Formats: sequence, C-alpha cells, structure tokens
Amino acid sequence: MTTRLKLPMTARLAERAGRVLEFLWSGWAGLAALFLLAAVWQAGHEAYGPFILTSPQQTVAAVLGLAGDPSAWAVAGVTLQRAITGFVMVSGAGVTLGLVAGYSPATMRLMQPLITVLMGVPPIAWIVLAMIWFGGSDATVRLVILVSALPVVFLGAAQGIATRDRGLDRMAQAFGAGPLRRFLTVGLRQTTTTLFPALVLALGTAFKVAVMAELLANAGGIGGALAGARINLDIATALAWVLIAVALLIAVEYLLVHPVKGEIERWRRAAQPWGVKR
Amino acid sequence: MSVLSLKDVEHAYLGRSVLKGINLNVNAQEIVALVGPSGCGKSTLSHVAAGLLVPRGGALSRSYRRHAMIFQDPSLLPWATAAQNIGFGLRLARLPRGQRAARIAEAAAQAELQPADLTKYPVELSGGMRQRVAIARALAVRPDFIYFDEPFTALDVALRRRMQDLVIATCAGAGLAGLFITHDLNEAARIAHRVAVLDTYGAGILGDRPLPGRPGGRSDAQVQDWVTAALERDPLFRHIHDVDERQIA
Repeated sequence: MTTRLKLPMTARLAERAGRVLEFLWSGWAGLAALFLLAAVWQAGHEAYGPFILTSPQQTVAAVLGLAGDPSAWAVAGVTLQRAITGFVMVSGAGVTLGLVAGYSPATMRLMQPLITVLMGVPPIAWIVLAMIWFGGSDATVRLVILVSALPVVFLGAAQGIATRDRGLDRMAQAFGAGPLRRFLTVGLRQTTTTLFPALVLALGTAFKVAVMAELLANAGGIGGALAGARINLDIATALAWVLIAVALLIAVEYLLVHPVKGEIERWRRAAQPWGVKR
Repeated sequence: MSVLSLKDVEHAYLGRSVLKGINLNVNAQEIVALVGPSGCGKSTLSHVAAGLLVPRGGALSRSYRRHAMIFQDPSLLPWATAAQNIGFGLRLARLPRGQRAARIAEAAAQAELQPADLTKYPVELSGGMRQRVAIARALAVRPDFIYFDEPFTALDVALRRRMQDLVIATCAGAGLAGLFITHDLNEAARIAHRVAVLDTYGAGILGDRPLPGRPGGRSDAQVQDWVTAALERDPLFRHIHDVDERQIA
C-alpha cells in the first residue's frame, strides 16, 4: 500500500504561494494605517507651518533626493550593518543565557536581579561608558544594543523553556530521548512562542538604539546624519532620515524575521478558522 | 517468562512515600491491567517501570526488547503533522529516513488512520483521532512491550470502546506484552489477561486475578458478569472505587 505522508510538491508550493499572496494582500491594512498617519502629519504641518513640521510630501521628496545620492546609501548601510550585527550578538547571547536559565532555576534566580539592573540603567548611561571605552566606533553602538535588548531576548527564551509542556518531555523520554535530544526535538521548538515576539522587539530596539548611539557618540551613520540636520535646522532631511531608519527596520523585519516565523509556526495557521487568517 | 519484574520497589516524592514494597511480574505476551483507587500511585508505578522515574529502592528488571508508551494526554507535538508525530519514535531511534515512511504508513493503517489524516496537524484532529495517532506512534517503533497510562480516561464511552477494541486487536491479539493502568474495572476486564490491584496508599500490590479466556474472545455479558462478581464477592476489589481527593496522584 502506498500512503502519502506529505502533500505533493505542487500542492505544497501552491500552499506557500497562497500564504505569501495572502500576506501581501494584508498589506492594504498596513498601507491604510500609514496613510492615516500621513494625514495626521499633514494636519500638523498645516497647523504649525513648514519650519516646525515639513509636509509628508516634502519629506518624501527629501528621501528621494537622498536615494539618488550614493554617499547617503553608505550612511544608511553603516547603521544597517551596526543594527544587524548588534541584533545578531544580542540574539546569540540572550537566547543562550535564556535557555540555560529556563532549564536551571538556580541560574534564573541569579540572572533575574541582573536583568532588573540592566533594565534600570538608562541606555544613555551605557552610551557614555561605551564612548569612553571604544570611542565613536561600531563597538560602541553594538555594546549599547547588546545591553539594551538583552533583557527582552533573555526573558523571551527563558519563558519559552520554563513554560514548556512537560508532558512532551515525558513522552520523548518514554521513547528513549536523552536530555540533549529532548532539548533539540521538543524543548527548543517550544520557545518560539515567546522568543519570536521578543526578537521582533529586540530588532526594533537595535535600530532605535543604533541611531541614538550614533547621534550621541558622533559615530556617523543615520544618527550622524541626523546630528548634521539638527545643526542646519533642516527638518525635511531629519524627517527623511527617520523615515529611512523606519523603512530599514520594516525591510529587515519582513524579509528576515517574519518569513522564518511563518515557516516555523505553520501549524498555528492550521488551527485558525479560515475567516481569521487574513 | 517474565519480561518486566519489580521487586520491593519503592518511590517517594519530596520525602512523601508514594509506592512501597511493590512486587509485580508481567510475562511475555501478557497484558496486565493495574487497577486501584484514584491517587494510589498507579501512574507513578508505570513511570517507574518505564524508566521515566528512578525508584528510590528495590530492583527492577526489564527483559523486553523495546517499549513504547501511551499516555492519557496524547502528548503530540503540535508543530508536527500526524505522520511526523507517528514517526517521532523512529526519528529518536535513528531509523534511516527512507525506511520511516513505510513504517509510519504501516502503523497508521494498524491504528485505522486514513491517509488524508496524516498530513493534518494535531489541532485539526479530534480527541479520538489524536489518541489514534498516539497509538500509531507507539506501534511504529514495533515494541514488544507497551505501557498504557490511563490512555482512554478522557474519551467518551463510545470512543473509549473503539479504542479498547483497537488495543485488543493490535496489542493483545498481536502477542505484545503490556502494563495497562486504569481505574475502570470494565476496561481492565476487556483488555487484559490478568488484573492486579494496587493498595489505596501504594503500599504494595494487594493481589491479582487471572481473567477467563482471551482479550477479544470475551463477550460483553462475560465481561459484565466477571466485573459484577469481582465487585460483589471478591474482597480484593473492595476498595478500588474509594476516592480520597486529598491524595495527590
């Protein structure tokens, strides 16, 4: 007897294409929200004048102007590189520590107060310290991202392990899995529920903190460009750089984090009634 | 020949004795049902026997080749399809990928799962279907011993009967040995070759009774008569319906 254990390749590809199209279609709602924001912005512009708040149209024009300038691409590239390397560092460190703490209550008890301390220290204080240690370099920005986003990634990973379904562990053990295989086949997968929201949050923090650290540490990048715009009182350029930073974040989040999440959490879609999927 | 033997086994949770002086043998090709009141330590006993818990004392010997376990909660991986769940034990046993598909299909057929069910995720399956997947997962590793830890308690009466028939056909009828934990004497009388009774406080096996005939060969009337006689006249079963909510399972 031949039994089909998987859907045929064409069906799987069709299902995936359907998912992508559905996701793109859901972009209308996002666009509506963005245009609503633009409308409020326009109202603010009309109320306070172009010196306080340039219009969305002028800002977009400034963005397009920057897009034609290769040196602006290099500036954005520096910030992108710092934010992503910082994000990778904080993900690695936070997930490792979080997994250990999730399995070991003693580690959790030791880490909790440290996490509170980390959360209590304002990022700006870290910028000052990092500037003294590393000057206006990549390392300064990465360090500040690391300490700012570490608590959320750590807690996301630790919670995922601590709240895992112990029944699955027991089942895996009954089928002969040792501690390592239980972690790899059953434990790790269950962290995604809490880890993905934490990673999305950490990615946002990485971009925000990167720009802030660059501005304050005079380290170039988008932050440096913002500092330049401030000196020239050039609101349009300042807002254009803000837009670019947001666009970079959105691009990374939707090209990197969401596809991975969609692939790993395919089963959750199966649980949704069809009307809720879009 | 006994394939599972417990001698003077004891276990304690945080200093509180749960099991004491447990002596139990399960022979090859024999299904032993273990009954007892709620909270007497039946599940703990099965977990100790299966090696999920390390006993605090006593001797345990297992001479079967390979065991599998079916729990009350089907314990399926929510992110894996039914087929992947059935193949989970095979994956842990490091069976080459190429051989897994045939074994999964074979086990699914034994548990009467339709091919269309195999691509579904557990959330898309009903309670009974999930338990079928759990049974197929156990059968897929081709065990010669199966632990049943109150597997059908959460199912409704009609479904439970069908699952019992499935176990009778695939385990008792196929010459597997097993330890079947249940608090339902009727279920024990349908499925098992022998019924053992655990003390209300886990202080030893009070005794056992062989069941007439073979599992699957008994009529409903025979099963009912045996249960009625056991409950009315056999002192061994006097306390099996006692309930003490303060006891922790």
